Amino acid sequence: MDAFLDFARGPLFRVSLAVMLLGLLRILALDIFGAVEAYRKAGDKTLPWRFIVRRTLMWLVPVNRVFTRRPAYSLFSILFHVGLLLVPIFLYAHVELWRGVIGFGWWTLPKEWADWLTISTIVFALALFVGRVGSVASRFISRKQDYLWPLVLVIPFVSGYICANLNVGPATYQISMLVHILSAEVIFILLPFTKLAHCILTPLSQVISNVAWKFPAGTDDDVCTTLNKKGAPV
Amino acid sequence: MSTGQITAEERQKAFVSTRKPEVIEKQKLDVRYHIEDFDINDRPRQFLEAFAAILKHSNYRMALDHFIRVSAKCSRCATTCQVYQATGDLKDIPCYRSELLLSVYRRHFTMGGILRGRVTGSGYLTDEKIQEMAESFYNCTACRRCVNDCPSGIDHGLVTHLGRYILSEIGIAPRALVVSTREQLEGTSGNTSAIPVPALVDTLEFLSEDMLEEKSVDIKFPLDVEGADYVFFPAVSDFLMEAETLMGIAAVFTATGDSWTTGTGYFDGINYGLFYSDRILERVVKKIDVETKRLKGKTVLIGECGHASRSAKLFLPTYCGGEDAFPVINIMEYTHRVWKEGKLKLDPNGITEKVTYHDPCNIARQGWIIDEPRELLKAFCPNFVEMTPKGEDNICCGGGGGTVSLDEIRAYRTTIGGKLKADQIRATGCKYLVAPCANCKKQLKELVEDQEIDCEVVGLHDLIYKAIIFDDSLIVAIPEDDNSEEDK
Ligand code: SF4
Ligand code: SF4
Repeated sequence: MDAFLDFARGPLFRVSLAVMLLGLLRILALDIFGAVEAYRKAGDKTLPWRFIVRRTLMWLVPVNRVFTRRPAYSLFSILFHVGLLLVPIFLYAHVELWRGVIGFGWWTLPKEWADWLTISTIVFALALFVGRVGSVASRFISRKQDYLWPLVLVIPFVSGYICANLNVGPATYQISMLVHILSAEVIFILLPFTKLAHCILTPLSQVISNVAWKFPAGTDDDVCTTLNKKGAPV
Repeated sequence: MSTGQITAEERQKAFVSTRKPEVIEKQKLDVRYHIEDFDINDRPRQFLEAFAAILKHSNYRMALDHFIRVSAKCSRCATTCQVYQATGDLKDIPCYRSELLLSVYRRHFTMGGILRGRVTGSGYLTDEKIQEMAESFYNCTACRRCVNDCPSGIDHGLVTHLGRYILSEIGIAPRALVVSTREQLEGTSGNTSAIPVPALVDTLEFLSEDMLEEKSVDIKFPLDVEGADYVFFPAVSDFLMEAETLMGIAAVFTATGDSWTTGTGYFDGINYGLFYSDRILERVVKKIDVETKRLKGKTVLIGECGHASRSAKLFLPTYCGGEDAFPVINIMEYTHRVWKEGKLKLDPNGITEKVTYHDPCNIARQGWIIDEPRELLKAFCPNFVEMTPKGEDNICCGGGGGTVSLDEIRAYRTTIGGKLKADQIRATGCKYLVAPCANCKKQLKELVEDQEIDCEVVGLHDLIYKAIIFDDSLIVAIPEDDNSEEDK
């Protein structure tokens, strides 16, 4: 068991972290290159920057707009994301782990806050799941992964909470720890390839959408030539 | 504001098809709008070829790549779309609509999709799917209201726009749009309403005479003036249907004395390309450029029309020279500016009835023209009231995205597309509904008629015409003889 744990904590952790980081970097780079290339080809190079920045900030810190639609679901979503982001990054034990891997650490959450945030993340993840299942519209457009993610994401939170706070026997502790680490690693690995990629791409959405309306000149000719329609009447 | 769905009876009315069963059978396409005959063989392959060609020469790919990765499927957009609100049909959820095209993209144009398709042997584009897209993309008014409320920043307007473009390349596009465009690009009149130049000249002279009588001011519509500051392109249908808007615009120019002109070479601001094909969009935009160059004009002035303004503003730089393209302004921007400069005087009690303002999606959705018309209206309408929501969050008239030109779907537009708008208008109790857009005006006139709302749909300049105060120096005495001549 110990060997297992060491393996999960050591090489497996590093591999999954690498997959996540490289994967995220890759899609981020693809997004940015795509946008730059499109902008380069665009006939019109003016972009409504003020509008783009305003919209981007509005959705990164969605306190204002978000309550106009599906207010409860939106509130759950915000609170869920708060814990989801803060706990893994700022929990004392995690920062120590990062320090071991990358050599430096940073500010950490007081233990009490971390505990409450962990609980709230679990609760709001379940609330999101219920909100999705409970809405006809949501159900209609949901894919399997949309149901799965909130449930999968709570696994490291639940197991982590057990390890950190409950007085369990050593065997249970070890199993919980293993579940905690392995589930986190699975999430790391899948992150760049699933909807979770939105964690890094969404900040670019407004730029992308606005650049996308900047068409290149000459589409008429080029598309006609490719489709063998040159000179064809309207 | 009520967000009620339509009743079963209304639904039935909204979905009547004017197409004959044999036509539907022949074209293998069951949609509510008329289309011209086209090659029905191997439609999926044709669709994919067109899609590939467009992806190759356009900028859509990067947006599609982004959209397929970020969607949260949170269904906020469902609560924003007035079409879905009215029908309650899950297939009208914006995210579902976009997914129709995004899934084709994912399956046929991304590595993962192609691989998965190979392995599972499924997910191919089918005729049924094309049928669904052809129906769905024209159920949407392309108002882009849903864009405002998507936390993932997905632009369903763009996806619908692209979907229609691809469909049009395989022959699926509303006939009304195609026929008008054909006249505009290849016909003898060169404009979507097929107005010949002599008729235009007559109309304008006639309007000038009218205005002289009504206002005792010599208000002209200058034609083919070289070197004018503003070259005027209204939605050409205004010459037939919105004379009062044009009169108001001419009155404003008479008051300011600025030089403007309409070109007899080309005088149509309408660009249906924005609604169904980027290729057409490009060709139509270029006509504006050519005419403005011919007249050695300085600025392109678009009349009261949302999509005409947006297509010129966005796409003149795109297709006609980037930074060097002619600047584009909308007539409301001009009028607002000259009013601020004190060149335009309006009677503060010009219109005493209750007035409200409808934001055309194409000029308000991204915050382009929102305050200007309101400031103007408040200057001469003491009884101005707002609709809610408004501005960037306005509700579409229900005839956006070119659907207003499809007379065969009027019932759909006025019972479904415009349902929320009708509720909104009713709630204001207005006498005048100002809609500074040729598309919105037509749709809203039909909407208030079909929904039996007691109000008059007008343009901003229709009201300005009523409230304008001319400088004494412009007032001319009407020669009495002329009148008596006519009386005989
Ligand atoms: S609001 Fe955006 S992310 Fe949410 S369901 Fe609609 S399109 Fe998808
Ligand atoms: S663009 Fe307008 S009509 Fe179309 S899906 Fe979005 S909100 Fe609905």
